[in-house]
Amino acid sequence: MTFQRFLLRRALMVIPLMIGVVFITFMLVRIGGLDPVGRLAGPTATQAEFDSIRNNLGLDQPLWKQFSIYLGNVVRGDLGESWLSNRSVLTDIKERAVISLELLFWGVGIGALVGVPVGLRAAFRPNGRFDQFTRVLSLFGFSIPTYWLALVMIFVFFYLLGWSPPAIGRMSLLVTPPDMITGSYLIDGVLTARWDAAQSAASQLILPVICLAIVSAAPIIKQTRAIAIEVLSSDTVRYAHACGLPERNVRKLVLRNSAVPILTYIGTEVTGLVGTMSLIEYVFAWGGLGQYGLNAIISGDFTAVQGYVLVLAVFSVLVFIVIDFVVYLIEPRSELS
Amino acid sequence: MTLLKVEDLHTHFISRDLDNQICIAKALNGVSFSLEAGRVLGIVGETGAGKSLTAQSIVGLLRPPAKIVAGSVRFEGRELTDMPDAELNRIRGNNIAMVVQNPRTSLDPLTRVGDQLVRLHQIHSGGPKTASHKRALEMMEAVGLPDPESRAKSWPHELSGGMAQRVLLAMALMNSPKLLIADEPTTGLDVTVQAQILDLLRSLVARFDMATLIITHDLGVVAHFCNDIAVMFGGSIVETGSVRDVFAAPAHPYTRDLIAATPERFQMGRAKALGGQPPDLYNLPSGCVLQSRCAYATELCQTTVRNAEVAEGHFALCHYAGRLEEQPAVKINA
Ligand SMILES: Nc1ncnc2c1ncn2[C@@H]1O[C@H](COP(=O)(O)OP(=O)(O)OP(=O)(O)O)[C@@H](O)[C@H]1O
Ligand code: SF4
Ligand SMILES: [Mg+2]
Repeated sequence: MTFQRFLLRRALMVIPLMIGVVFITFMLVRIGGLDPVGRLAGPTATQAEFDSIRNNLGLDQPLWKQFSIYLGNVVRGDLGESWLSNRSVLTDIKERAVISLELLFWGVGIGALVGVPVGLRAAFRPNGRFDQFTRVLSLFGFSIPTYWLALVMIFVFFYLLGWSPPAIGRMSLLVTPPDMITGSYLIDGVLTARWDAAQSAASQLILPVICLAIVSAAPIIKQTRAIAIEVLSSDTVRYAHACGLPERNVRKLVLRNSAVPILTYIGTEVTGLVGTMSLIEYVFAWGGLGQYGLNAIISGDFTAVQGYVLVLAVFSVLVFIVIDFVVYLIEPRSELS
Repeated sequence: MTLLKVEDLHTHFISRDLDNQICIAKALNGVSFSLEAGRVLGIVGETGAGKSLTAQSIVGLLRPPAKIVAGSVRFEGRELTDMPDAELNRIRGNNIAMVVQNPRTSLDPLTRVGDQLVRLHQIHSGGPKTASHKRALEMMEAVGLPDPESRAKSWPHELSGGMAQRVLLAMALMNSPKLLIADEPTTGLDVTVQAQILDLLRSLVARFDMATLIITHDLGVVAHFCNDIAVMFGGSIVETGSVRDVFAAPAHPYTRDLIAATPERFQMGRAKALGGQPPDLYNLPSGCVLQSRCAYATELCQTTVRNAEVAEGHFALCHYAGRLEEQPAVKINA
């Protein structure tokens, strides 16, 4: 199957999924006991003011009608306006998505870069000293609450040691952000040769990235180890030994045969990091999509919550399409399906 | 010089149970045999007898908790049991080739068949790649794979079981081995394909003059294919000799049962065909391992058994070897 047809089929499969996502979030938000009207109207509002706000937002319409209007807008690419800020939800999300993606990229990237080799090494000598050591470490990574880890890191590296800047977001207050190109201060700083901005952005990134890397590396280590151990005990590796393949070649074989399941796992993990991202962004005042979503939920900003969830769903689908494609490139057995 | 000489090989599984007590499963208990160049030896025995374990012990493919605790394996006069892996790797796949039971899952799924053949040749024999490639095509031809050029480009998952087994045979031939070990090379295949592969194997052994160790459940295979036979039970070789001698006059009660229970090419598969449980390897009886199942067993059988030579080159591991008929009447399993 060609890549175009694969994409087309994927897109067709995704449409009902997306309608389902839109429907479920729409309903959940509405029956979830959130009510933005009181907040918009303020403490001194009269009943008449309440009613007119309700009417403006369309909240007095029956649910099915509200839903069909919303769905119609979404299909046209309009996610609506935030009820609190009156800004376009899509614009808000676009801006923040880059910010979160930057954090996610470095965090999971470093987590995988560390986790995969560590897991492999542990697998080559199961129950050896290295394996036992990493098992304790990853247990630690599994069991620490993310926000606690973030707070402790700020406490230690900013407050006690003074090695890192304060957790006030993506850039020092003393540095002017670079001209916007991609939306990532680090990349834009480099592109516009604003080295001070790039440097500040990088130093702000370090703590949240390490935090995310720790949280994501632990399960990567565990999975990589399990996957590699399974490959090591496979007929293929047995036979490779029987053929006298040197250790170096056997390791390469194990690596290649573990690559697909490891990649798939990392993809699944990435899509499951939503909660972690929100917490980290919150603690580090990151101002990305995670924090946006969290705020929207807390304040009952219906359109923003719906937009947020929808974008996350689209993101997950994209991640899986990319992974399917990469798997297709390495794995001759696979068909794009 | 004897090509392969296995002497008093003991392989145990050593593990710890939940109470952290050491448990030992004595899976091989003093296996000895030898194989001369150009001969074909068949090892038969019921499942769990230790046939595969014998092969793995010979070429150093044991994985923990299995461990050779005593004995020696000499190949062309060199001791293999204490040879470092890197050195063993120069022998495996080169001088000693193996054909295994699950050809489809054993090949590397991410490498084209031809490339695997070439890789194996490059690793052991070196030389220009084009020569390896040529050799790969020749060997694929030799094992009867049609259209080697295009088959070489196949992925393992595209092959049928029979074709995959032919590829494994081609892999085995790549470096002109002196010894071929085939561990149930036809078990996973259709019956018709089994016969084809066996015929192929037989012609290859003759054509390339390899000493061959073939492990099987099937006495028919041994009868038609081998010069010598070794019957295994409970981790010991209970009878060895030339196929003609052993089939004509089986000297061990187990071999007798085996032959009696085996019409032409009968597939044993399970121990039940013969009746009786396999021995508990964690708790072997003293004396003969067969004693709880043997119709001839007496109290004498609880003492250590020695290999008895019943005819020239024909040995049986039984107190009454060669005189089962005149054995006294006091039997314990009567
Ligand atoms: N990890 C282990 N711990 C204890 N005993 C084991 C372990 N693995 C295998 N065994 C035992 O080792 C014995 C020898 O097994 P082996 O694979 O050599 O049998 P086999 O004769 O090849 O049988 P089959 O015809 O089924 O292939 C078996 O009885 C098995 O129960
Ligand atoms: S030694 Fe005894 S128990 Fe063992 S095979 Fe011979 S007769 Fe049977
Ligand atoms: Mg076996």
